[in-house]
Amino acid sequence: MTQLDHGKFSKMTTTFHTLLALDVFVLFFSGYSLMFNDELWWMVNLMGGAQGVSAVHRIAGGGLLALIVFWMLMMLTTDTGRGNFREILPSKGDFDAFIQDVQFLLGNADERHPNARQFAGGTADEIPLLTYIGKGVVFIFAIELTLLTISGILIWSKTGVMEIMATKTAAAAFVTFHGLLGVIMLMGVMFHIFEHGFHPALYPVEVKAFIPKSMIPEDHDDDTEGTGIELLELAPSWNMASTVVGAMTVIGIVSVLLGSLFDEGYPVPREIAIGGGPTDILLTVGINMGMFVLLLGLVLQMYGNLLRVRWQKQLEQEASEPTTAADGGHVESDD
Amino acid sequence: MSYREHLPETKGYPRTAIAINAVVALAVTALILWWAADFAVFYEELFRIQPVAEGANAGVGSDWTSGNQIAWLDFLIAITHAADVIMGVFILFMVFLHWGAFRRLAGRMRQPGDSDSSAVAADGGRVADDAADDDSAATDGGESR
Ligand code: HEM
Ligand code: HEM
Repeated sequence: MTQLDHGKFSKMTTTFHTLLALDVFVLFFSGYSLMFNDELWWMVNLMGGAQGVSAVHRIAGGGLLALIVFWMLMMLTTDTGRGNFREILPSKGDFDAFIQDVQFLLGNADERHPNARQFAGGTADEIPLLTYIGKGVVFIFAIELTLLTISGILIWSKTGVMEIMATKTAAAAFVTFHGLLGVIMLMGVMFHIFEHGFHPALYPVEVKAFIPKSMIPEDHDDDTEGTGIELLELAPSWNMASTVVGAMTVIGIVSVLLGSLFDEGYPVPREIAIGGGPTDILLTVGINMGMFVLLLGLVLQMYGNLLRVRWQKQLEQEASEPTTAADGGHVESDD
Repeated sequence: MSYREHLPETKGYPRTAIAINAVVALAVTALILWWAADFAVFYEELFRIQPVAEGANAGVGSDWTSGNQIAWLDFLIAITHAADVIMGVFILFMVFLHWGAFRRLAGRMRQPGDSDSSAVAADGGRVADDAADDDSAATDGGESR
């Protein structure tokens, strides 16, 4: 089992994150197999052809709509929700954290800024609720998902969108527009997967998003200097795994970006027989790599949930026989 | 600046609020989709698969070429492409930034097989107990395995 660092998500948030991720993955697979049907023809077939994909996408679309409305209500109607608005506003510290990350990469800084630290270790008390990346993620995902949902509702039925758009061509173009909106989200989630799956101290998955903080023991005697990361041993597979997935993430992002530029469909395709852009073998491989990264994300998030279930069992067990932590370490099962 | 002390998030969310909001969200969703479906849902494959000049959908392309004069939609798509490219480049930069930072952090950790302490697990998840620290388990939450 991986280590538990400082937890931040409440129980509701972990559940919400899991449902949101599952739903968005389905939307990705169904939506982009339509947009990139040249490269992802097998995925279209797997979901039952164009008709099946459309149905899958609509069902998941309905799910996203419900999740978003639910989240907005939670943020507005509870104190916890309202109180957290402040936490996502960008601050000077976030900008500094970004600069310091660049410096850290160049070797001019010794530590990552507290606002950038994913692994807090002994410095858990210094770090804010969200890293600067976390804030960016919240903003970008929130805006993207809202726009996608609104445009998705508008194209829910073909006749409806044609009423709005006057011509069939324009109606189809509006569908394309909806898909193009999601490209940022698509690229962003690939990064999100790499970021939370391949931190060397947290590899193979950062469990914070899956194990609610109420189940994570807190320990406040911080006599250690710094994060204490040098006490941890690197997993033997980390090097290879992070290199391969890092490369796939980069290739996937570049490919879907290029693909989205070719598969635009509006204004009128320059040539009539397009079939959706160049059926380029490299692009096909690249886009499929991107899909593989998404699939990996799906697996990692299920693994994260599996770890939660195991951890829960372990806590229950220890609660019944209090003095037996297998390694002599103490487990505070406070909740 | 500990998030634990001042954050309301720490308190979690009240159960009733979750339940009520979930029900309201489902109801709102049903209403919106009912309204949207009033346009009449039907699946039409034609326009999802891009138009072609030959094959089963022959001729669709000629229809496609007419009626493309909506300036604002054209503009909307152009800026979306631009946003995609700008954000794409930025996200790529972020990937490289983190990749690099992760490599540097990994370099700081004990290398696999570096120590022969039996307390070290191979998954990177354990604190070696021969570390000069009496309570080093704090870094990993004192997990036991
Ligand atoms: C993460 C969120 C979403 C992403 C990434 C996404 C992506 C896409 C993509 C790429 C397409 C195909 C565009 C093309 O053919 O060029 C599409 C089509 C569509 N989307 Fe979404 N979408 C999302 C959310 C939604 C939501 C929330 C709804 C509805 C409430 C929705 C409804 C639709 C509909 C109705 C279509 C047309 C499908 C058809 O051809 O029958 N989408 N989406
Ligand atoms: C489409 C899928 C997903 C969406 C929309 C999503 C969304 C989010 C959002 C909005 C946040 C909060 C901002 C932040 O801290 O970055 C977050 C945090 C996080 N996500 Fe995801 N996520 C998705 C998939 C995943 C996957 C696959 C993993 C696991 C590999 C994951 C792991 C995490 C972790 C570890 C955090 C940080 C939790 C913390 O800071 O306490 N997410 N996610």
